[in-house]
Amino acid sequence: MERAVVLRGLLLASLALHSAASAAEDHLAFVSCPIVRDTKTVPCWLAEHEGETYYLGIQTDVSAPFSPPSLGHKVLVEGEKTDEPRICGGIPLRNVIVSVMPERADYCQTLLMAEDRYTLPFESPRPPGPSRGRLAFSFPEPEKVMPPYKSRSFQLRYDFDGTVGFRHPRSLVAVMEYASQINARSIVIKGYRGRTILSNGEALTEREGLAELRAKEAANLLQGAGLTSPEYVVTWDDEPQTGDASQRRIEISVDP
Amino acid sequence: MFRRLPGAVLLGSALVFGAGVAFQVSAQSEPEIAARAGEREWWSPGIDMTVPEMLTYSNSWGELSIYTEGAPIATKGHAFFEPIGANGRACVSCHQPADGMGLSVASIQQRWKETKGKDPIFAMVDGANCPTLPPGDAASHSLLLNRGLFRISLPWPPRDPNGKAIDPEFTIEVVRDPTGCNTDARYGLTSDQPRISVYRRPRPVANVKYTTHQNFGVSPFIGKNGLPTARDPETGRPTSMNLMSDARFPTLKVQMRDAAATHLEFKGRLTARQMSQIEDFERRVYAAQVSLVQAGSLVEPDGPPAFGPRNLARGEAGVLGNNTTRFVFPMGDAWKVAKPSETPEQRAKREAILRGQDIFMFRTFWIRDSMHLNTVGLGNPTKRTCATCHGMHMTGMDAANGWMDLGTTNLPWAKEVPVNPWTDKKAEMPLFKVTCKAGVPAHPYLGRIIYTQDPGRALISGKCNDVGTIVMQQFRALASRAPYFSNGSAASIRELIDFYDRRYNIQFTEQERLDLEIFLASL
Repeated sequence: MERAVVLRGLLLASLALHSAASAAEDHLAFVSCPIVRDTKTVPCWLAEHEGETYYLGIQTDVSAPFSPPSLGHKVLVEGEKTDEPRICGGIPLRNVIVSVMPERADYCQTLLMAEDRYTLPFESPRPPGPSRGRLAFSFPEPEKVMPPYKSRSFQLRYDFDGTVGFRHPRSLVAVMEYASQINARSIVIKGYRGRTILSNGEALTEREGLAELRAKEAANLLQGAGLTSPEYVVTWDDEPQTGDASQRRIEISVDP
Repeated sequence: MFRRLPGAVLLGSALVFGAGVAFQVSAQSEPEIAARAGEREWWSPGIDMTVPEMLTYSNSWGELSIYTEGAPIATKGHAFFEPIGANGRACVSCHQPADGMGLSVASIQQRWKETKGKDPIFAMVDGANCPTLPPGDAASHSLLLNRGLFRISLPWPPRDPNGKAIDPEFTIEVVRDPTGCNTDARYGLTSDQPRISVYRRPRPVANVKYTTHQNFGVSPFIGKNGLPTARDPETGRPTSMNLMSDARFPTLKVQMRDAAATHLEFKGRLTARQMSQIEDFERRVYAAQVSLVQAGSLVEPDGPPAFGPRNLARGEAGVLGNNTTRFVFPMGDAWKVAKPSETPEQRAKREAILRGQDIFMFRTFWIRDSMHLNTVGLGNPTKRTCATCHGMHMTGMDAANGWMDLGTTNLPWAKEVPVNPWTDKKAEMPLFKVTCKAGVPAHPYLGRIIYTQDPGRALISGKCNDVGTIVMQQFRALASRAPYFSNGSAASIRELIDFYDRRYNIQFTEQERLDLEIFLASL
C-alpha cells in the first residue's frame, strides 16, 4: 500500500516534470514583424519565427483579450505552441500575449490579401464592421462588496516598455470603485519592470526607471480621477523581473 | 407648398433678411428650392424676436430645420442673442440658425459684402489672421473669408485646469507663419507670455445632448489612453470631452465663460442667470436637414427615423449605433419599397440615400496609422467602416472621448499648397515642427518629428501622441455649414469624402461617392 502510494507519487511527479518540460519546450518568446492576412471576414494576425508561421489572433473589438499588433512596428510574441490545426496558415499559440514594440520598424509592412484557402474555422465574435448589438466579449460584473471590508489586490499589466494605455481604464475603475466602496484608508502601489528571455536565449529587458514611472503614474491617474482621500504609498523595484508577460506590472493594494 | 412664416413672428428690429426666406416644413419639395441656393438669413446680435418652435431655411441641398423644444424663447435680453461683450458679438454671431447653428463660409462672405467687413464677426481679436494686421482689409481676414476659420490663441506651455504649467513631451517651432501671429512679439511663441495661434471652425451649437452625454464611454478614465477624464467642476462627474475640437473645456458653462471672455471680449463675468439662459437654449435647440432636392421631404410621418430635428430631440444620447440593432443613422423600412406618390426622380434620390447609408455602415476599408483608433485594440491596420469611428447613434460622433488623428492637420496628409518653382501660390495655414523629447516614446506612426498645421489636443495635454488629434464632430446639418474639418480644409461634402478616400485608399467608385455625398447631405 505504502509502496503503491510512493510509486503513484513518483509517477505524478514524473508526469508533472514532463508536462513542465513540455510546456517550457512549447513556450515561445520572439520578436518579429507582424503579418496581417485578410480573410472573407475579419483579418487574422500572424508572425514568423525561425522559418515557421504562427497564428496570433483575429481583429475583433476593444473588448477582446487579444489586441492585434501594428504594422510599422515589431511585435514581441509570448505564448505556447499547440498542435492544433493551422489557422490562416499559422500554428496557433495558446495564452498568446503580443506587445507592440515602441520603436518604429518601417519595413514591417506585410499585408496579405484574402485567399480562398485561408478561412477562419470559427465564426468571428465581431464582423469587420457593425456589431450585432453587443461587444465581442463581455466582462463579469464586479462582485458586491459587503463588510467586513478587507484589503484587496489589483494588478495592472503592461505592454513591453509600456505605460498606461487603452486597456487600463477597466482595472483603474475597479480600483476606484472598490476604494470608494470601502472608504479606503490607503492605496499601496508597487511598480515592476520585466525581463523576457527570448527563445533564442537573448534577454529582452524593459527600460530602466520604468518600475518607478509605472507606479507613480498609477498614483497620479487615480488621484487625477478624483480618488484623493486615501493615503498613497508608492514604491517600486527596478530590478528586472525575469519571466513571462506578467512581470510587466504594477500591484495595487486597496486597504480599508 | 411652402408657406412663409408670419412676419410678426420673425421680423424683428435687427433681423436682416437679405434675400433669405424662412419656411415651415412641408412634406414635399419644389424646384424653387434650388433657385434659392446659397441664400442666408442673418441673425444679428440684439435681435428682437421670438424663436419659434420650428424654423426652416433653404440651402443648396434642400432645406434645414431648427427645432427649439419647449416654450418659445424671446431673444430680447437673452444672453445668447445679446451683444454682451466689447466687440458687438453675441453667441448667435457664430452660431447662426440658417447655418445649422454653426457658421458657413458662404454666410461669412455674404456678411463681408453686406457690411463691408464691419460685422462684429470680423473683430480683430480672432476674426482676423492676427490682431496686428490692418483692419478692413480682406487679406487680414483671409482665413475667415476663405475657410471660415477663427484664431484660437492658446498658452504655451499648456496649463492644467488649475492653471499650472504642464511640462510638455515635445518642443514646438514655428516653421511657417503666413498670418504673422505665431512669430509676433506680442502674440507669438517668443512673446513674454508665449502663445500659439491655431485656426479653427466654430462648432455647431445644436443637438447638444449628444455632445455632452453622460452615457456609454464616459468613465473616470479616458477610454483611448487611460488618462483621467476631465470632470465637471460643479459636480465632479466625468464628462464626454466631446464639446471642443481639442476637448479643452469639459462643460457648456466652462466653454461659455471662455467664449465670452475671448470671442466676445466680455470683461466681466457671466452671471448665473446669463449662463442658465445660454445653457437652457443650447440644450433645447436641434438642427437637421429636412428635405433634399428631388428626394423631397425627409421627415414624413412614416419616414426614416434618422432624419429631422424632432427625431434628434427624441433620440437616445450617448449610445452606440455601430451595430445592426440600433444603427448610427437608422433608416427603418419606410423607403425600402416605392410609394405610389413618389416620382421616379424622388425614388432614385431616396434609393441613393439608402445606398449611402449602407456604404457608411458596411463598406469596409483599411484604417491605418490613425492615433487613438489603431492604438485601441483593433490593430494597425484594421478592416472596418466609417461607422467604426463615427459610431454614436444619431450624430456619428465618437461615443467615447473622441479625439483622433486622421491627418487633417498633420502632414503628410493635411491639405497643403504644392511647393515647386512654378507656382507663386502661398500657404495660408501656419506650420509647426513638433519634436518629441528624448525619453518620451516617439509617436507610433509619425515618429519623433511631426509637422502639423494644428497640434490639436496636444496643445492642451502636452502629449506627443496627441499631436494633430481632433475631437470628431457631429454629422448633422452638414449641408448648411460648409466647409468641413476643424481647419476648414474640405470645402464641400465631396471634398470631405475625397480626403478619406485618399487617406485610407478606400477606392470609392464614382457611384459610391455620389451616394455617400447625398446621404451625408440629408443628415
